[in-house]
Amino acid sequence: MDTPPAATPPSPSAAPPPPPAASADATFSVRHVEAKASLLLLTLLLMVLGAVAYLAYARGAFESTQTLVLVSDDSEGVVVGMDLTFAGFPIGRVRRIELAPDGNARIVVDVPLKDAHWLRESSVFTLVRGVVGNTNIRAYSGVLTDPPLADGAVRSVLRGDTAAEIPKLLASARELLSNLTALTATDSALSGSLGNVQSATDRLKGPGGALGVLLGSEAEAKKLLATLARTNTLLERLDGLAAKADAQVFGKDGVMPHANASVQQLNALLADARASLKKADAVLDDAKTISGNAKTATADLGALRAQVEGSLRNVDALILEVNRKWPFARDTEVKLP
Amino acid sequence: MSPMASLQDALGAAGRYGVRAGVRWSTSWWQVVQVGALVLVLAMSPSTYERDNRRALAHHIVVGTAPVIAWFAVLSALVSVVLIRIVIVTAASYGLGQYALEMVVRVLVLELIPLTAALFVALRVTVPSGAELSRMHARGDLARLQAHGVDPVRHELMPRVVAGIVAVALLAALSCLIALVLAYVSLYGLTLGAFAGFTRVIGQIFNPGVMLILALKTLLFALAASLIPVGALLRGPRPDITRTSAALDSLMRMFLAILLIEIGSLVGSYT
Repeated sequence: MDTPPAATPPSPSAAPPPPPAASADATFSVRHVEAKASLLLLTLLLMVLGAVAYLAYARGAFESTQTLVLVSDDSEGVVVGMDLTFAGFPIGRVRRIELAPDGNARIVVDVPLKDAHWLRESSVFTLVRGVVGNTNIRAYSGVLTDPPLADGAVRSVLRGDTAAEIPKLLASARELLSNLTALTATDSALSGSLGNVQSATDRLKGPGGALGVLLGSEAEAKKLLATLARTNTLLERLDGLAAKADAQVFGKDGVMPHANASVQQLNALLADARASLKKADAVLDDAKTISGNAKTATADLGALRAQVEGSLRNVDALILEVNRKWPFARDTEVKLP
Repeated sequence: MSPMASLQDALGAAGRYGVRAGVRWSTSWWQVVQVGALVLVLAMSPSTYERDNRRALAHHIVVGTAPVIAWFAVLSALVSVVLIRIVIVTAASYGLGQYALEMVVRVLVLELIPLTAALFVALRVTVPSGAELSRMHARGDLARLQAHGVDPVRHELMPRVVAGIVAVALLAALSCLIALVLAYVSLYGLTLGAFAGFTRVIGQIFNPGVMLILALKTLLFALAASLIPVGALLRGPRPDITRTSAALDSLMRMFLAILLIEIGSLVGSYT
């Protein structure tokens, strides 16, 4: 690498000293130097261009994407470039985070079209912050047959913050513990209740048993027992009463056999009535025939009457004729005074 | 009053010395900036790339880079394997195995590898090269070159600086690649099944800001490692400067510059 000092020997006494040639000699000492230098430069160029192309590919510059906007009230932990995962697989990348006029954070996510079919109209998005500080945006699609999510869709994101949950959890636990302490204190209601339960169980074991516990005293329990005994007697008497009523109603001379006979008689009566009705029917038929005959007779009577009327008119005309010809004819002329 | 007067004299001498040292220090840094600007302008002007200068540039690139590639690759692979194992085992023992890859990439690729590449190139290539240039300058070789119509800046200075920049960039890129491959194999084994997840994590780490900071940091490291050793050239021929003292001087300046760049990049990345 170093130019050998021997390459610049002291010039001889001749007028043109050779220093320019010294460096040239060193240059010519490497064969095909220009080709090798070109190869090195080409290698460097290829590596730089390859790195740029690979990084562009890694950042999704060659993918066609669709946009999804997630709205959250807090975008803490979300950084540009982080993944949107579905079932643990990254299917999108946060491109921008902006604050909307309504105070919510808008997380703009680029989803490559080849992965967009995992997102459906019914998909749910969550933003979860872990204890270590890592934040994850996850998508859940329960029904994969739903219509696919449209480009530019805006969805609200459900937020879960483990670190923020811990203080809440501790506060709740503290409250629970104080309640529990109050419950288990010696003068607490629970303690009193347990004391009452203790005395109740003691009385359960006593002569009155559970009845004594329920009714308050042994005397009341005895009264109840007496009442029960009397009720029992009453029930026995009621039983006898029911047997007698049974005999009276359904017995040999009871109500029911008589009723049965009456019904049979009623049946016979009904049959008779039906026969009478049939007879009446026949009478009506006869009457109908008679009325038809009377109608015909009435028609004949009309003709007869016309004949009689004609005969009478003839007789009348005959009488008039006789009167005219008769000497005792009346003077029919009207004489005016 | 004489002790007081002597104290005042001593303080005055110290002050004058401090001011002189400060002025020298600032001047030398200004010379480095001048050399850098000069080299950048020359590197961008097409007239630089005439045949002789092109051959000189190619020579310095090949001679500066090719011999160290293999060594550096082996070295960086060994260091990477050790660090990757340490990070993975530690992360797993705390139950944070899912963050091991991110930690490995951030520690190795983003921080350690560019730094290591710059220091390696400085120690093996640019500091000896700069010292050699100073020696040539002290011997008057450069003046003789100029007398023969060869521009020493284009023929000797610029190729060394460009070769140093190329060497740092190439070694950093190569060892980043090696570290990523080793990290993948250490975490997932010899399978391609985890490549999608690996790519995703890499994509999350290398956001545009991180990429910009990494590229800027590597470029600045390369400039510092290449320019500072040859910055002494413009101080003029100093016969008292031996090769060792010139190298030490360059190294001290370069460490300081690299430290400042690293602090700046850390401030940019993690604030």
